[in-house]
Amino acid sequence: MTSPQQFLLPDVGEGLTEAEILAWSVRPGDTVEVNQIIVEVETAKAAVELPSPYAGVVSALHAEVGESLAVGKPLITIDTGPPGEPADGPSDGRTTRQPEPEQAALLVGYGPQGAGAGRRRRRSVAPRHTTSPPEERTEDRAEAGRPDHVVARPAAKPPVRKLAKDLGVDLTTVIPTGPGGTITREDVREAVARTTPETVSVPAPDAARPAETRIPIRGVRKHTAAAMVASAFTAPHVTEFITVDVTATMRLRELIAGRREFRDLRVTPLLFFARALVIALAKTPEANSSWDEATQEIVLKRYVNLGVAAATDRGLVVPNIKGADRMSLRELAQALADLTATARAGRTSPQDMTAGTVTLTNVGVFGVDTGTPILNPGEAAILAVGAVRRMPWVVRDDNGDERIEPCWVTQLALSFDHRLMDGRQGSELLAGIAEILHEPGLALL
Amino acid sequence: MAPTEPAPPETPPSDAPIQLLDPTGNLSTDDRLPLDLATVDLAALHRDMTLTRRLDTEAIALQRQGELGLWPSLRGQEAAQVGAAHALRHQDMVFPTYREHGVAWCRGLDPVALLGLFRGTTLGGWDPYAHHFNLYTLVIGAQTLHAVGYAMGLHRDDSTGSGDPDRDTAVLAFLGDGALSEGETNEAFIWAAAQNLPVVFFCQNNQWAISAPYSVQSRIPAAQRAAGYGFPGIRVDGNDVLACLAATRQALHQARSGGGPTLIEAVTYRVNAHTTADDATRYRPAAETEDWAARDPLERLEAHLRSTGAVTEDHFTDLEQRERDLAEQLRAGCRELAEPDPASPFEHTYAQMPADLRQQLRAHLEFVSSGSQDGERQ
Amino acid sequence: MVKALNDGLRQALTDDPRVLLMGEDIGRLGGVFRVTDGLRKEFGDLRVVDTPLGEAGIVGAAIGLAMRGYRPVCELQFDGFVYPAANQIITQLAKLRHRSAGRISLPVVIRIPYGGGIGSIEHHSESPETYFAHTAGLKVVSCSTPHDAFHMIQEAVADDDPVVFLEPKRHYWTKGEIDPASPQSLAQAVIRREGTDVTLIAYGPTVPVALEAAEAAAEEGRSVAVVDLRSLSPWDITTVRESVHRTGRAVVVHEAAFSHGFGAEVAARLQDEEFHFLEAPVVRVTGYDTPYPPSRLESDWLPGVDRILNAIDRSLSY
Repeated sequence: MTSPQQFLLPDVGEGLTEAEILAWSVRPGDTVEVNQIIVEVETAKAAVELPSPYAGVVSALHAEVGESLAVGKPLITIDTGPPGEPADGPSDGRTTRQPEPEQAALLVGYGPQGAGAGRRRRRSVAPRHTTSPPEERTEDRAEAGRPDHVVARPAAKPPVRKLAKDLGVDLTTVIPTGPGGTITREDVREAVARTTPETVSVPAPDAARPAETRIPIRGVRKHTAAAMVASAFTAPHVTEFITVDVTATMRLRELIAGRREFRDLRVTPLLFFARALVIALAKTPEANSSWDEATQEIVLKRYVNLGVAAATDRGLVVPNIKGADRMSLRELAQALADLTATARAGRTSPQDMTAGTVTLTNVGVFGVDTGTPILNPGEAAILAVGAVRRMPWVVRDDNGDERIEPCWVTQLALSFDHRLMDGRQGSELLAGIAEILHEPGLALL
Repeated sequence: MAPTEPAPPETPPSDAPIQLLDPTGNLSTDDRLPLDLATVDLAALHRDMTLTRRLDTEAIALQRQGELGLWPSLRGQEAAQVGAAHALRHQDMVFPTYREHGVAWCRGLDPVALLGLFRGTTLGGWDPYAHHFNLYTLVIGAQTLHAVGYAMGLHRDDSTGSGDPDRDTAVLAFLGDGALSEGETNEAFIWAAAQNLPVVFFCQNNQWAISAPYSVQSRIPAAQRAAGYGFPGIRVDGNDVLACLAATRQALHQARSGGGPTLIEAVTYRVNAHTTADDATRYRPAAETEDWAARDPLERLEAHLRSTGAVTEDHFTDLEQRERDLAEQLRAGCRELAEPDPASPFEHTYAQMPADLRQQLRAHLEFVSSGSQDGERQ
Repeated sequence: MVKALNDGLRQALTDDPRVLLMGEDIGRLGGVFRVTDGLRKEFGDLRVVDTPLGEAGIVGAAIGLAMRGYRPVCELQFDGFVYPAANQIITQLAKLRHRSAGRISLPVVIRIPYGGGIGSIEHHSESPETYFAHTAGLKVVSCSTPHDAFHMIQEAVADDDPVVFLEPKRHYWTKGEIDPASPQSLAQAVIRREGTDVTLIAYGPTVPVALEAAEAAAEEGRSVAVVDLRSLSPWDITTVRESVHRTGRAVVVHEAAFSHGFGAEVAARLQDEEFHFLEAPVVRVTGYDTPYPPSRLESDWLPGVDRILNAIDRSLSY
């Protein structure tokens, strides 16, 4: 009974991948003992004699003198005789499994690994849930005994956060649908779609930055542009201007700001402009109407939904305060504050922006004096209020003497739809607003 | 207990190493190295040297058969190692380099334990405290400082100079000729001298530090360097097991009794290459090796044993059987050395595994257990 | 802080007769910073050892002493002189437990005065902590207050692993209360100051600077948290995450050079584990990628309050 054992060419530690057979010391049929030298091979640098790992009879030599043999290939087969004899069985496969401890000088180690090192089966990588707050990893903190605070914050990766910021979306209002409770891009866009008529589709960010930048026309900008075009080229616009001394209003403002019921509200000049407009509007109902081209009717409205133009990160939005004519000054102040906050947070709803009847636009906040505002489509008039400045003004005293004094002065500009109003109504309205701002007591009338 | 004043330095030793047993096996005496033969077990010395050589030979074969990645052979240095080792008391602590397989053998280590480091199954392989034999240190010279520190400890726990042979302890630090040039080795000499520490530095000057002959390291014999630091140096024939034994006994006694350090230079020869990966034919002439072959440490002892009738023929035949047994033990033991557990590096980096490392271990084990795509390799 | 260390060492020497101190000038002189002042007199020259001048020797001998059962506390006199000991620290001290499969335990402490800001000459203002934090088998810690100095040195001595103990030398003379109780473990970070806008992460000498910056930021209406890491290896990411999870913004402050410094480790881990909660990139305020400059330049080179405030601004600008 034979028990053939193969001795595979080992890597003798010089980074061998192969060796050349120089001389055999044995022939098939020879009896060999353990450690008897059986062959001399040429390595990269020197000749090395290899001792037999087996005792037995040589069955076959697997390479000829002068032949190059690769490491790991059979070198010699030795029949170790019937089973029961000590079978020295080196599994030479182990030689190339050890990692090489040192690089460079091939003085140590098993040398570079032969080909055929097994690859591991790749399993699909289950992502670690990095959204779990640190409190969940408590193994070694148990002994610390510190309280665990769980602060609920929206989870969104940096590009999504940027998108939200660009679109003016508050992440705390977004419903997350991503893995591990994270907010995705789609979630952010969905939140935007809930607040604007258009669905905003954001293109992939531009990587290149050439001399020109191309921004796709979409969303708020598109809507605003369409509205402007519709308005400007449908309604014949006329704009009238007036410069008014509003010192009395500014004094009144201080007085009112100090009152208890206005303590937690911002009392701005804009509040008084809005109030004056609403009051004066009562005398010029044409300014609170709309031209219905389809039915060929002019629609006079007995309610005032006062639109206030607001500049936000997303662009121009014009939400309106429903029933502004029925509000007290304080109610109006609150409504203005709410409107502003909502607009800034990007949460102005479509409902907020429809059914307006007249609009107020504050160019003064930018330090600008006046302008020629474009009507909000469907409306008859729009009032632009400018910066309130200290200006030299002619003041007449009781004796009839005139002198120049610094006063609070502002410019008002009223654009109106000449289909609905003539110059007379427009002028009366504008003068009426100015009169109230100049002499607020007249509002008592 | 306060250390005694160091013995005055020897008059500088002549270049000739002290020799008791010449290459033909003739024994003589030397006043510098008194040796009471009644206290010497020649048969045991011969047995240990022979088995050490066999251990070394088998390990080389195992490397050539792909069972070990590397083996640093001690062939030719058996007398130095076995002679020195026989001078040790049980409680003495040894700090070897990486070639002291003969000392390990004499200390009672399982010789298979020496193989793991070179097979890649471990970075150590034995408990240093079990046989008072430290792990091998591969960074040249680093162990000399560890030996010095250990000796400082002996000094502090009153383990020297008491006169009690079971209590008095010394440290035996091995180093090669190359290590003499390392800064840390020289720092060790400084500390040992300044503090009069119970440490013996045993330098096997085997003439070669890989391919650098001794002349690259020093202009003077190694033993003479000790005087520069202020402690005795003695130069012996490193192929003469009796001279090595006598010198080490003397030095260890000196150390144990509070007499401070000694540097022993055992002049010997590294018959084989630096390791199995080295090719010595590139830098030294064959004639030199042949020359040293005539001074073989085993041959002279065998000649002495036979000529004096100190042993019977049985000694030799028994020894041959023991050699065969040892060879078989090594071959079988080598192949049975346990593969290291993938978790073991993680478990022994710190006394207690930090949380982050535990996470890494988990991920690593998961990866390892995901199995091989190709199945078992050929 | 010097007195706190001195008291802590005294306590350690008293509690365990196997503890000993070794280093250059630590005995007769009491240490160039007087950290070991009076200890030689009290405990004798066998336990407070004036060693020969050689850092490799100090650490190598400490290893041998530890193998004999002692608990050596080495002092390496200045950060810039740790390098001769690097071989023993990295190839031996860090690895012997691993090499011996747990049979060899080396409870060695290596104390190093480190860091800049004291107007010193070359090699006396280094921050070599990352070389050691990156070496598996070592623990690396740094105290920032006298209280921590007192407790942490004793904990380091009692630890069975080798500990590199970094003492911020610019705060050696800082005064502070020492509470007898110290609930944290050696490896735990501490939130020194709560905040909601941004988290500063610091250790050793940059902790007081970070606290100063947080105060200044508060005057500008910002709420800034400060975390003192205390331990670099291992490091307590759990505590750091507790704060960063809340603020979403992290700024790391260290004196060591910018590239490949500890801040890089913190930033990498935070972006991995707090990815969905970061409002801004992790910002690092550090030394520059140059050797430490002449002392006349150091105040601008080191991370100071202004540079930290700039970093906070940058973080909040996202």
